Order: sequence, then C-alpha cells, then structure tokens
Amino acid sequence: MPAIRPASKRKPPPDGFEDIEEDLLIFSNKMKDAQNTPTDNIPKHQAQWPIFQIAHQRSRYVYELYYEKEAISKKLYDWLLKNGYADPMLIAKWKKQGYEKLCCLRCIQTKETNFNSTCVCRVPRAQLKEDQDVQCVSCGCRGCASTD
Amino acid sequence: MVKSTYQPPPSALPPLPPGWTEHKAPTGHTYYYNAETKESTYKRPGVAPVAPIAAPAAAPIDPAMSSYVQHQMVPQINLSDPAVANAFMAQYGQQQLQQQGHRGGFGGGARGGFQARPRPQPVDKPRSKVAIPGCEPWILVYTKYGRRFAYNPVKNASYWRIPEKLMPAILELDTARIREKAEGKKPEQGGEDKQETRDAEKTGKPAGESEPEEAAHDYDSSEYEEVEVTDDEGAADDDQDQDGGMRKRQRTEEPSADDGPAEFTEADIAAQLAAMNAEYNDTEMGEGGAEWEEGDEGLPLSDEDARELFKDLLNDFRINPYSSWDKLLEEGKVFDDARYSILPTTKARKEVWEEWSRAKIQELKERRAKEEKKDPRIPYLAFLQEKATPKLYWPEFRRKYKREEPMKSTKLSDKDREKWYREHINRLKLPQATLKSDLKKLLESVPLSALNNQTMVSNLPAQVLADIRYISLDPKVRDPFVEAYIQGLGPPPEAGETAEQEDEAAKKAREERRKRERALEERERVVAEEKRRQEKKMQYERAKLREEEREIERAMHVGKKGLQSQLVGDKA
Repeated sequence: MPAIRPASKRKPPPDGFEDIEEDLLIFSNKMKDAQNTPTDNIPKHQAQWPIFQIAHQRSRYVYELYYEKEAISKKLYDWLLKNGYADPMLIAKWKKQGYEKLCCLRCIQTKETNFNSTCVCRVPRAQLKEDQDVQCVSCGCRGCASTD
Repeated sequence: MVKSTYQPPPSALPPLPPGWTEHKAPTGHTYYYNAETKESTYKRPGVAPVAPIAAPAAAPIDPAMSSYVQHQMVPQINLSDPAVANAFMAQYGQQQLQQQGHRGGFGGGARGGFQARPRPQPVDKPRSKVAIPGCEPWILVYTKYGRRFAYNPVKNASYWRIPEKLMPAILELDTARIREKAEGKKPEQGGEDKQETRDAEKTGKPAGESEPEEAAHDYDSSEYEEVEVTDDEGAADDDQDQDGGMRKRQRTEEPSADDGPAEFTEADIAAQLAAMNAEYNDTEMGEGGAEWEEGDEGLPLSDEDARELFKDLLNDFRINPYSSWDKLLEEGKVFDDARYSILPTTKARKEVWEEWSRAKIQELKERRAKEEKKDPRIPYLAFLQEKATPKLYWPEFRRKYKREEPMKSTKLSDKDREKWYREHINRLKLPQATLKSDLKKLLESVPLSALNNQTMVSNLPAQVLADIRYISLDPKVRDPFVEAYIQGLGPPPEAGETAEQEDEAAKKAREERRKRERALEERERVVAEEKRRQEKKMQYERAKLREEEREIERAMHVGKKGLQSQLVGDKA
C-alpha cells in the first residue's frame, strides 16, 4: 500500500474546491457519524441504510453541481470522483434513461435476488397497490422509479 | 389564519380543574375528559376563564409563545383581504403537508404515510354581515379571517365566488366604504361603534384590540387571543388597506346594526361556513392543492413578483448557491420568513431556487474571472513579517502556527514555505543598510507603469508585495522609505496606462492574430520559393529541350558534303 501523504505534501485540489468544501465536509461528518453509531438495537438489514443514503446524497450533490448547475469544472469533477467524494458507477446509471433517480446500485443488481428481479423500490408508484408503503431492504429507499 | 396545532408542554400549563383528565388520541392529539359529566374536549379546560384584558399582557410569558411566533410568520400578508386570506390558507395548509411528508431528501418522490392523519382544519367564523343594496335577499358575510361570501337566506345558498349579478352592487358597496374610511366616518354603523372606532384610531391602536365582549366569550382558550393578535396586525396596516381595494374587517357585532333578515342568525351563518369550508378543502385536496379559489379579486402578486421575492429571500439569508436544496430545507432558516410561503408549492420553490442558484454561480464565476488572480505568496509573506522571529526554527514555527490560514492554504507547497521562512530569517540578521539598498533595488526594478507617484503606499503592485526583500525591513522604517521613493518618481506614462487598461482578452486576440499573420507570411514565403524553384526548373528544362532540338536539327541538317562532314566533325 502506498504511503498516505500528509495534507501539506499533497497537490492542492483544483480551483473551485473552496466553494463546495464546506458542504462536502458536512457530508463527511454525517458519514462518520453514521458509521460510528452503534447498530445493536436495530434490525440487521437496516444497519447500513444511513450509509447508503448519505453516499447517495453526496453523489447526487456532486452530480448536480457538474451536470445540472454546471457549477464546477471538469477537472474538479474528476478530482472529486477520484478522491471518493462521489460514486462514479452510480452517477453513470443516473445518466441512463429510466435510472434518473436510482437510489443505490444494489437495488438493480438482479443476480442477487431470488427471482432475478430488481428491488421493490424500482417499481413505479402507479403500479403499487393503494397506500402500499414500501421501504427497500438494501438501502431503505421508498421508491426511486423515474416516473414517481 | 389557521388555528395553531401547537400544544404547549403539559408541565408548563396550569393544572386541570378537578374531575378532568388528560388523554392522547390515536392521532396524537391530546384531549381532556371529564368522568363526572362524561364530557370530552380538545381544548384544555381552564380553572376559570381568563379575563380578556389580562390575556394579552400574559401572552409573552406564556409558554404558548412559540405558537404566537408561528402566527407572526406572516406579518406582511394582510389577511383582511379575502383573496390574500384564501391564498394564504391554501398555501399554509400545503406547507404543513409538505413539511410532514419531507423525507430527508433521500431519493425521489416521498412516499410518506402522512395522508392517513387528518390535517388541521382552519377554523373560520362569521364576523359581520352587510345587506347588498339592490339585491335584497342577498347579504354579504365577512368572516373572522377577513374572507367574505355571498349568502342568500331565502334559498339557503352561499358562494365564495360572488355571483355575477351581485358584482356591481358589491363593488359599489366597497367604493362607498373606502370613501367613508377616507373621510373618517362610518355612517352605516351605530353611533356607539363609531365612537369606538374613532377612539381606536386616535390612540393609534389597532381597532381589533377593542373587540366587543361578545366575540371574546366564544373562546376562552389562549389560542383565540393569539389569533386575534395576528389578525389585528394584518388589519393595522392602514396604508395598505387604503390602496388596492383592500378592506378592513368590519366590526359590526350587534345584529341590530345590520338590516339583514331576522331569521338569519349567527349560528345559521356558522353552519353555512362550516359546510363551505369542507367543500373548499375537498376541492383543494382533489386538485392536488395547486389551485384554489381566488374569491372575487385577482391575486395581489403576479407570478413573476412571487418568484423575485423568493429569490430576494434566498439572497437575504445568504444561502450558499453551491449547497443543495436538502440542506436549505434541513437548516430551516427560511421557513419563518413570509416570503417563503409566497410560492404555493415546494416544487415551485425548488424550481426558483434552482434558477437562482444557477444564475448566482454564473455571476460568481464571472466576478472571479474579472478580478485579478491574487498571488498566494502575498498573504504568506505578510504573515511571515508579522510572526517570524529568529528565535524559532522552521519546524517550531510551523507547529506553532499550523492553524493559521496562510500556513494552511493549499496553494503553496510546504517546501516553498520553508524556503521563504529560512530566507527571511537569514535576511533579518543582515544590517539595515543592506536591507534598504535591497529594497531600493527592488523598487527600481518595477516599471514606471506599475509604480509611480500616483501609487498609494497601501496599494503597491503585487510584484513588490510578493518579494522577500519587501518584508525584510520593519514596517516602521520601510513605509516612510517607500513613500519617499514613490514621491521621487515621475507621473505614470500615458501609453503604459492605456496598455494596462486594455482587456486581457483583446490582448490575447491580438497576440493570436499576430501569430496567425506570421504563420501566413511564413507560408507565403515558402510557397513563393517553391514556385520560384519550379519556374526555374521549368525554364531550365525548356532550355534543355531547346538545346536538344537544336542539336537534332543540326544533326538532321545534311550538307552538300553529305556524310563526310559528319565524319570530319567526329574526327575533329
């Protein structure tokens, strides 16, 4: 494993990072908190929900900054992806039609399910029963179909 | 105004009278039950009804204060105008709905189960009625919240939207009332009432504070008082009332003052109003809450204005345009502003926010591009001058000031920082005369266009500020020295100034153009040379050809001597 360089020896991040630094710091603090909360008295499948949710929010934040608001440069965007501020695989899915709101990659991983189907959160709300309140097992999503 | 659902914590409330017990309904509301009388109520029964005069004074100390603050959210909206009141109620209801349904911003559409819970219903009461002249059975009823509707006691029908045929009469009524108000008299009402209004106006108090007792008796809970306070504030904006046809609520509680039909009682109107309220809410729910009845008047705010106001709100709260919408909602700073509820739905708000943030980011980008790049060395060197001492080695110095901004900035590498620190410390040990001469040399190296007798000492060019020689001298010695030097300089050269003013882009374009021209010239030169060479070659070839032709001709030419001459030539 390569040595981790101290912050003072690292190359500075690209321009424009100062603008979003604060928000990213908030996200990383939230993530740390979520990682450090004890999971003793919550169901096992729910233990990782907050992690997934925060990762989603952070990726979405970066995605919107680059693709929708066009607020950050390509250079900075690449740097953010490289440094793990966003999930490039998830963002790659968001660019595809029908996956614009995808909550996590596990929810479209059909090979992991018994009937080779996607997660229930991918089902459009119109096709669900009336007042059926779903929350998916993998990340606690309540529905991420593009039509919702 | 909507009745607040806020319930002050039970510990802070006065104790219940004997016989009453407190319970929680399945919906989460608390209610009170009296086992003896088998009576249950949502309102907290007090020991004795508080005197209405004492209540306003007690209100600020009351724990229900936060409820009051909730009502204060809308100070700018004048609820005495029926259209505004309608709009406000529609929005306020939705806002609550959306706040309930908000799901921490994760993923797409919220699928909250909030629809199961009944949302708090606004409670409105008829306040006064006026017969519409010309259309006899019809009367115009004003409600507590300043809305109004037309009621026909004969047919027992009522409409929020004023029927077409009543329109001219009501307009006439309105203009008459506005004129009366302008003149400062209200002939329609009883003499006693008139007196009261005058008094209220003279003391500058909102008229609602001297509410007739009758109304106050209907409610003995604190909520009534709070609602009243807000209502009055809306009505107190007299100048707003005057223009735009905004109406002040009429305070004609005595039925005798009105010439409505005798069988038309307060209870009657209340029933009507309740039925209409239910209907109103039903339609609102059915249409997804996006539309609502406007009453008889148009919106006081256009869509464009509402959007602009929301943008102003974002500006005023210094919202970071780079932050996400979820963060804005989570912080919740903007909810308390009246401008927040001007846009009817969260979706619309988000849209405006998106537009705003995009524009703002663009603006920031442009501004940054315009302002010159600041040398990161300048703050660091200034910091060195302030803090560096020969007593500290570099590692010590770095450890001591690692929290300082110039030491943390990522624009400079640690190596450079160390180098400059060591250099600076070494220079501090040099004699003053050397330092002075060094500084002079530095100043002399700056061209006259950058440094001249118009330059301020506080605004020296970056070239000087970013040099280690500038900080070596103590500021007390240095500043007068620099000032004296500057005074000895000539005025700024004209040409230099214009050159400085030239746009960077223009310069770049010119450079580019020069480059292109040069390239073109080069190319032309090459082409011309090629051409020349080719021409030369062609001429040469042509000459050669001619020569050969001549030779052949010569060879073909057979003289009288025949072959002999050839042979002679060969021999020769």
